[in-house]
Amino acid sequence: MSDPIHHVIIGSGSAGFGAATTLRQTDADCRITMITMDGLPFYHRYDLPQVFRGQHDWRELLDEPPSYYDEMGIQLRRRSRVVDVDGSKQLVTLAHQENVAYDNLLVCAGGRGYLPENLTEYAGLMHGLGSFEAAMRLYRDLPKGGTAIIIGGDMIGIDLALTLLDTGYNVTLIANAQTFWPHEVSDDERAQLFKALTAKGVTVFQDHRPVGVSRDDKNKSACCVMLEDGTEVAGDAVLSFCGLTSSVEFMLKAEVDIERGLLVTPELQTSNKTIWAAGDVCQIWHDQEKAYKFYHGWKHVRIMGELAARNMSGAHEIFYTDVEDRIGVDANGQINSTFWTH
Amino acid sequence: MNERVEPVYLEEKLEEIRADGHMDFRSKSLPTWCPGCGYFSMAEGLTFALKQLGLDHKDVVVVSGIGCASRFPFFVSTYGFHTLHGRVLPVATGVKIGNDDLTVVAVGGDGDAFAIGGGHIPHAARRNVNMTYLVFDNGIYGLTKGQTSPTSALGFKTSSSPYENGDVPLNPLMMLLSYGASWVGQAYAGHKQHLADMITEAMSHQGFSFLRVLSPCVTFDKTDNTYGNLNMLVRELPEDHDNSNLMAAMGQAMQTDHPAIGVYYQEKRATLHQAMQATANRAGGSE
Amino acid sequence: MNKAGTDIQIAICGSAGDGTIASGDIMKRAAALMGYNVIAFDVYPPEIRGFGKCISRIRISSQQAYSLKEQSDILISLNDSHTIPHVGEVRDFGAVIYDDHLVSTVAEGGHISAHINAAQVPYGFSIRQISEQATNSARSRNIVILGYVAGLYDLPNEHFRKIIEAKFAKKPQAVIDDNIKAFDAGVLVGQAVFKLDDVVVGKAGDEATGSKAVMMTGNGAVVRGFMEAEIQSYFGYPITPATSIMERLAVELPPAGGNFLQTEDEISAIAAAIGAGYTGSRAATATSGPGLALMAEMLGLGVMAEVPVVVVVSQRGGPSTGLPTKTEQSDLNLAVFGGSGDAQRIVLAPTNVEGCYRCAGMAFDIAEKYQTPVILLIDLYLSNRYETVVPSVEASFAPKPREPLKLEDHQPYKRFKFTESHISPRALPGEAGFMHTITGLEHNESGRPNDAIHMDMTIKRHEKLNTAVNYPGLNVHKRFGDEGPVDVGILGWGSTFGEILETMYEAQAEGIRCAAMKVVMLSPLPVEALKEFFADCREILVPELNYEGQFAGLVSAALGKPVTRLNRATGSPVVVKEILEEVRRLSVQSRAPLSAAE
Repeated sequence: MSDPIHHVIIGSGSAGFGAATTLRQTDADCRITMITMDGLPFYHRYDLPQVFRGQHDWRELLDEPPSYYDEMGIQLRRRSRVVDVDGSKQLVTLAHQENVAYDNLLVCAGGRGYLPENLTEYAGLMHGLGSFEAAMRLYRDLPKGGTAIIIGGDMIGIDLALTLLDTGYNVTLIANAQTFWPHEVSDDERAQLFKALTAKGVTVFQDHRPVGVSRDDKNKSACCVMLEDGTEVAGDAVLSFCGLTSSVEFMLKAEVDIERGLLVTPELQTSNKTIWAAGDVCQIWHDQEKAYKFYHGWKHVRIMGELAARNMSGAHEIFYTDVEDRIGVDANGQINSTFWTH
Repeated sequence: MNERVEPVYLEEKLEEIRADGHMDFRSKSLPTWCPGCGYFSMAEGLTFALKQLGLDHKDVVVVSGIGCASRFPFFVSTYGFHTLHGRVLPVATGVKIGNDDLTVVAVGGDGDAFAIGGGHIPHAARRNVNMTYLVFDNGIYGLTKGQTSPTSALGFKTSSSPYENGDVPLNPLMMLLSYGASWVGQAYAGHKQHLADMITEAMSHQGFSFLRVLSPCVTFDKTDNTYGNLNMLVRELPEDHDNSNLMAAMGQAMQTDHPAIGVYYQEKRATLHQAMQATANRAGGSE
Repeated sequence: MNKAGTDIQIAICGSAGDGTIASGDIMKRAAALMGYNVIAFDVYPPEIRGFGKCISRIRISSQQAYSLKEQSDILISLNDSHTIPHVGEVRDFGAVIYDDHLVSTVAEGGHISAHINAAQVPYGFSIRQISEQATNSARSRNIVILGYVAGLYDLPNEHFRKIIEAKFAKKPQAVIDDNIKAFDAGVLVGQAVFKLDDVVVGKAGDEATGSKAVMMTGNGAVVRGFMEAEIQSYFGYPITPATSIMERLAVELPPAGGNFLQTEDEISAIAAAIGAGYTGSRAATATSGPGLALMAEMLGLGVMAEVPVVVVVSQRGGPSTGLPTKTEQSDLNLAVFGGSGDAQRIVLAPTNVEGCYRCAGMAFDIAEKYQTPVILLIDLYLSNRYETVVPSVEASFAPKPREPLKLEDHQPYKRFKFTESHISPRALPGEAGFMHTITGLEHNESGRPNDAIHMDMTIKRHEKLNTAVNYPGLNVHKRFGDEGPVDVGILGWGSTFGEILETMYEAQAEGIRCAAMKVVMLSPLPVEALKEFFADCREILVPELNYEGQFAGLVSAALGKPVTRLNRATGSPVVVKEILEEVRRLSVQSRAPLSAAE
């Protein structure tokens, strides 16, 4: 144990930021380091669609100004990718070959966009909304009034689609198994949702498996998604929103149990006593269902981060949520999802 | 029996002096040296040399430092520059470089030359600046009323060495020979005509010519470098002395108990001006 | 200063051997070619060999700037351990560019990214790998980063290429090709990067001016001025930071038919210059504080014997051997007063590189007119600072032909004749009939040693300089900013005036009535102009780079009025922020209501 105690947080999303601020509140003397691949300080990912409403200065997106980190004594390491965590030496290795020693490690690296296997080779031709940079790149590639083709349509994607429709763009949705992730929707609910989307102006392709993506080399706005039946869907940009898959590849030597995500106790502690996890990267043990569960959604993620932080400082709180995953269409044709609550 | 002495009429004498021309270079100022000082001989020798060499007043610059020698420029009617203690050679070098058509004569005493000025001698000598350096060596600081100088003899008593001088004197001739001076000579103020001839030879040499003039300080040295002592000690260089042979010159220079007068060493070598012209050619310029 | 337009400062920091200075050089020349105004200054390690720290700072602006900024907009690291202490220099939302792939593993904090604060924008890319891929060597990292900057900020590539080709023109073609490859590889990476900082590189002023502008250091400007004034003799001795003046003249004088000599020390340098000056040759030497101290006796001779000579003094940290590679302004007293006795001479202190060029060009004329030594007092910062200067076509420093004296007008000729202007007719060795001896002893009109005349001669030597403050074509002093009465007047000299001017513009922007005045002639002092300035200013602030406030003392004594001093002896230029704080404080003070008693 070093003096002062060093808490390292991997990830600067809602969970990570919530954890950092909570750690500082509980312990005025500890060292706190946040490590992220993003180039920016913390901002709410759910604010990214604002880019399409003209918000292009990232400084306006920040919840807290950069000086906040200095004031709080939080060291923010941006553009830093973790390549390895050594669970026994308690060492985080960064891609640029720097080792960071920790006393407590909180992994809230979230997830990467999932891609169906047959589409992975086209990853470079598709957009996502993982960061401000990604949002700006999409904004630049999408001409005014252009058409965005969304493959999948998880709740992040649907949220973006609604903003795009509102700001004068066209949206084509190619639905698949990941549509409306992380919600598990019944066929009825699905039909209702598609109806609502179509009413809003989305062109929906149901039950058509996408098999390929192409883009004109000279004109980046001439894209096309090929469907299994040979149909070619044309548009100005192709976006993939097929849910998240946990970012755990750097945890393989960390001596922690991993399934699809990092497995944690209800106190958000992994099988390694000095490593904790929160957010989309972890599966929490549900005592009644006797299973490890993901808890996606913007609100959950933040609560998890703050709780993990308190437990890292010695508390023993149990994660609990009474919010059930729910998605539906209201009387006005608006889509509501508990995922979007924040 | 009284021999009848012919009367000397002042007017005629003055006329005679004017006629022979050797007063041409004297300025109106009367010298301020002590009567009997060797500087008188040196002044006469310089004016003789200037006349011999047919130099025009306007083309000569006499540069002096501080000491009894310092007044030299005032007593000749050429251009002159009375500078600072020890800095005669660099100023003279600057004058020569500033206008190579000028004949530059630097004058100094043993203190000016070898104490404070010692550091400048190697560079003027090795560069072979085309000038003449006349150093009046009386082994004492006269103007400041009698202190030891770098050439004072061991055991010499002065106001700054009341318990006898304990410093071994340096050997100016050896110094100049090893510094690469291309003309090194020695003269004695007591042999006036020889001195005048030496000055003339030194000035006609193309390159850095150094003439050391042994002389008494009649006022402050009554024991060492007196006319009496020097008359006895001073000899001429042997007839067979080869003044193109540096080793031979040094051998003679080491015989300080019996100082020899004459041309110790001379060689023909490119002057600084010639070297600078060669540099300009290498640099690709045209004069 | 108009806030619109481009005004960015790039700092490149690395180890000696990383090519830090070389890439800074390419950057500033490319920027000048693009038409920007450029001010650049390089910091070198004091050791000759080894891996000491080098920093190259370049400020490029569409409008004229006067100094380097305290904060840089972009910092590039070629060596993290050297650059880490300077990360704080980058302003908020500025960029820090570094290699994101170290050769070997380091502990926490060993990589520069650990030190970038949350408001700064990090840009990491594999500089070394890209250099190796493009050229099979890591040595081109310094060129790769230039390409990256060009790509990231969308700068025109052809100017960089032109400068790179010119810089390596004497090397084999393969070397040029490799450097271009490295540059292009950097451009590709930079173009693909998403720009998160807010550094804006806008249009340059005028590309046409760009090709006319000459990039000069203060020392280079002095040499250029000297050559245009047809300097004939230069005698020098190496001393930091004046050495490059000697080295440039060693190259330029011989082919121009001039005389160049490296002497054995500073005393012989000034002695030879004075000897040459006596003959009428335009002679000069250059040194720093320690050398000037050695020259003091000779300068007195020049003053007493009324011989023209030009001495350039580039000040560095003192006293004694001091700080040879750091700047300072602590030799003013030595330049103005150094030497025994009442030995007033002319001292000029330009404030920027163009001023160095102009003062050097005019120095010989001034020295010859007043028949006395002229000291050109600059400092290390000015000596080594690059600025874009557009040489004015009208400026001609070539000497006018000498009108020799007529013998019939001078019977007898008196070299030190009392005249109305106190300047005596000057004959040169070689001129028939005018033979005379000059001396360091007090002398009469004919030059003969004479004590009784001392008072009259002293008056002559001092009074003859009076008209120098009105020398035509020379900005002996200049006022900037608000006209008429002001709250705070900032008075300065030398290179600090750049920061003073920047401060004045900021103060004005804050609503403070503010003026600034530079004094270029320190001796004789333009007292009348100073009196007018003092009358207009409620408060006078004198910032300078010496502890004792030498210029403040000079002015305060001459005018009999107190000033507020801002004295700094840090080895670095003054900081605009610090001067501004003082200006604010004084402006409040000056506007304080009069007490009831008054």
